[in-house]
Amino acid sequence: MISFQNVSLIYPTSTQTILEDLSFNIDEGEMVLVIGSTGTGKSSLLRLINGLVPHHTGGILAGEICVDGISTQIARPGEFAHLIGIVGQNPSNGFVTDTVEEELVFGMEALNFAPDVMRKRVEEILDLLALAPLRNRSIATLSGGEQQRLAIGSALVMHPKVLVLDEPTSALDPIAAEEVLSIIHRLVHDLSLTVIIAEHRLERVIGFADRIIHISGDGKAVIDLPEVILMNSKIAPPIVHLTRALGISEVGLSVRDVRRLTESVRLNEKENLVKARTFFGPAITVKGAKRSYGAHLALKDISIQINKGEIVALMGRNGAGKSTLLQAIAGIGSLDQGSVEIFGHTATSLKGKIRRENMGFVPQEPSDLLYGQSVAEECAQGDKDNEISNGSTYSILQKFIPNISAKSHPRDLSEGQRLALALAIVLSANPKVLVLDEPTRGLDYEAKELLVQILKEFVADVERAVIIATHDVELVAELADRVIFLSEGEIVADGPTLDILLASPAFAPQVAKVMSPKPWLTVKDVMRALEQ
Amino acid sequence: MKLQHPLTWWAWCVGVISAVITADNALFALACLVGAATLVKTLAGNDPWVHSFWFALKLGGFIMVIRAITGIFIGVPIPGTELFKVPILPLPDWIAGIRIGGIVTQERLLSSLHEGMIITTVICLFGVAVSLTSPHRLLRVLPVFIYEFGVALVIATSALPQLVTSAARIRRARILRGDEHPSWRKIALPLLEESLARSLELAAAMDSRGYGVSKSRSRYRPIAWKLSDSAIAASGLLLFLSVWISQ
Repeated sequence: MISFQNVSLIYPTSTQTILEDLSFNIDEGEMVLVIGSTGTGKSSLLRLINGLVPHHTGGILAGEICVDGISTQIARPGEFAHLIGIVGQNPSNGFVTDTVEEELVFGMEALNFAPDVMRKRVEEILDLLALAPLRNRSIATLSGGEQQRLAIGSALVMHPKVLVLDEPTSALDPIAAEEVLSIIHRLVHDLSLTVIIAEHRLERVIGFADRIIHISGDGKAVIDLPEVILMNSKIAPPIVHLTRALGISEVGLSVRDVRRLTESVRLNEKENLVKARTFFGPAITVKGAKRSYGAHLALKDISIQINKGEIVALMGRNGAGKSTLLQAIAGIGSLDQGSVEIFGHTATSLKGKIRRENMGFVPQEPSDLLYGQSVAEECAQGDKDNEISNGSTYSILQKFIPNISAKSHPRDLSEGQRLALALAIVLSANPKVLVLDEPTRGLDYEAKELLVQILKEFVADVERAVIIATHDVELVAELADRVIFLSEGEIVADGPTLDILLASPAFAPQVAKVMSPKPWLTVKDVMRALEQ
Repeated sequence: MKLQHPLTWWAWCVGVISAVITADNALFALACLVGAATLVKTLAGNDPWVHSFWFALKLGGFIMVIRAITGIFIGVPIPGTELFKVPILPLPDWIAGIRIGGIVTQERLLSSLHEGMIITTVICLFGVAVSLTSPHRLLRVLPVFIYEFGVALVIATSALPQLVTSAARIRRARILRGDEHPSWRKIALPLLEESLARSLELAAAMDSRGYGVSKSRSRYRPIAWKLSDSAIAASGLLLFLSVWISQ
């Protein structure tokens, strides 16, 4: 269905080769997963398939790419519209119309489909993707998962033979992600659709993939069966790390496979004896917080106390009120009722230097915090703001990423590097509380590991606390002491990470599913228990 | 509010604009402006493009101020009641005919204000059409051959509201860094970067969905031209005709 013949790609402004002499064929009905660290060219590879690269982005392309026998050299992206459906990383940036139904028919109208055909296909897609109740809704009012389903629907309504998805679940909570992925899986099996999907969180998709393309970043890319690629790859889901750590030579891709391989480990008598960390007095106190947007109640009477030394994860569906609560804690969102106190200061009264010294906030887009023309300039600004000696911020950054170039522009950094830079700037003020709003969007495993390390070091000083909002259960398992679960603006669960994550299968990390009923969440937990 | 045909308010606004220009009367223009503002206030919903009228109003005010200032300092003197005197700036001989400074008369000030009023009203009347019409619906009734225009229209109308929310977000991030009064440069740079990236992404999405590939375009739910549409468009035209005849 798709053939790449000796494809090489470079961008004129960059010295790095994105792809070099890549050849492979993808058959009809195959589901291929593209993996690689951030910035290695996964999106470029996906966009080569319908010719968006280089027709839209520029770049020098050698070799030939054919889809269903049509070469991208001859046809422009628009001429592949009936053949290839492509869904970008952030679907809301690609919507063209106002309502669900209009969005679904946009492509068909553009290709001049007959009205009766359109009507039939719209109904079909509304049923297939369970969008029927939303058909007249305005797109702006849809949740993240619904928007993602609509974007996939608008691609599928054209009856394409190929579906290309760029990180379709990165903004979704575990349940919405599951929903989207199972729909794609069904389409592959029922309609023999060819699917190419790029994703960082392998644990979510690995069970569905037929083959993997691994891009290593130096221009080289290999395509092979998942078992073969994951045998040696540094990028691997937790269950693969688990079998490696246990010294099992086979690679298991699903929880079921790995459970079979690790039966003897579970029969072990040893339990996890992680000693609960002790905390000292309140750092943040939220009392009776209420907030509504029009008729919508975002927060319904929330009271929490977060202790010094604690790392707290805030979880919940898209739109559960996580961001509203974080903004109230950071003192940038107002509350209708209730109060937030941070080390004795009222959150909304924090200003300037006092704010920097008490509250470090990393927004969803860490780049919002950056406006300098180089890493060095950003760091110098951090030094100046906090009246600390020159080079202090840069040395914090170098502790995170030793080989970062001070001259590079913040925009040219990878997602992980950018987050590290934002963190270094925030940490240079030596804040007592660190608040992070979904920091793991678009981060690869390596960057996430770095984040865990930074945050754990941060709370080693007992006078500090961290709150992190995230959908990433694996990160929560590695990092958090306590999980607060929000739903519809109410706290539905609040307790130690272990208890909360094990309580529901949807939120259990992979290792916990494999090791159930043993209370082990991560590879480290398992190894620690076994070493006793 | 029942949705009108996307071209209705455009037709109406063309009529009223013609009337304002033909009448060339600041009071009449002001009346039209007040009428337009009332219309937008009562008819517009919560859509992001509604802000364009209020934006147009601010832009118009800005233009009036600039027009008044340049009218006072630069240009041909109009004789009449002297208000005050500004020293004349000596200019080289080769730009004869242009004078900076000099006597400012009441007539000169009034005439520039009058022109400013007409310009402001015309801009705001365009603002009415933009505010009361969903740009995406407008795109559906426009012919395909203005492809580039269509892409630009969708991008502009999606980018503007996003720009507003992004600006607020970035400003907030600056405040979080302890910078209570961030300078425009610190906001504009990331803002520009982000909106550019978004626009490119949207253009790519439209392209890969086949927009502009086929010469003709089918309609899933054709948008009908109703009696009320005719009435609104006719009212604009009538206003123009009555002004024209009375001249």
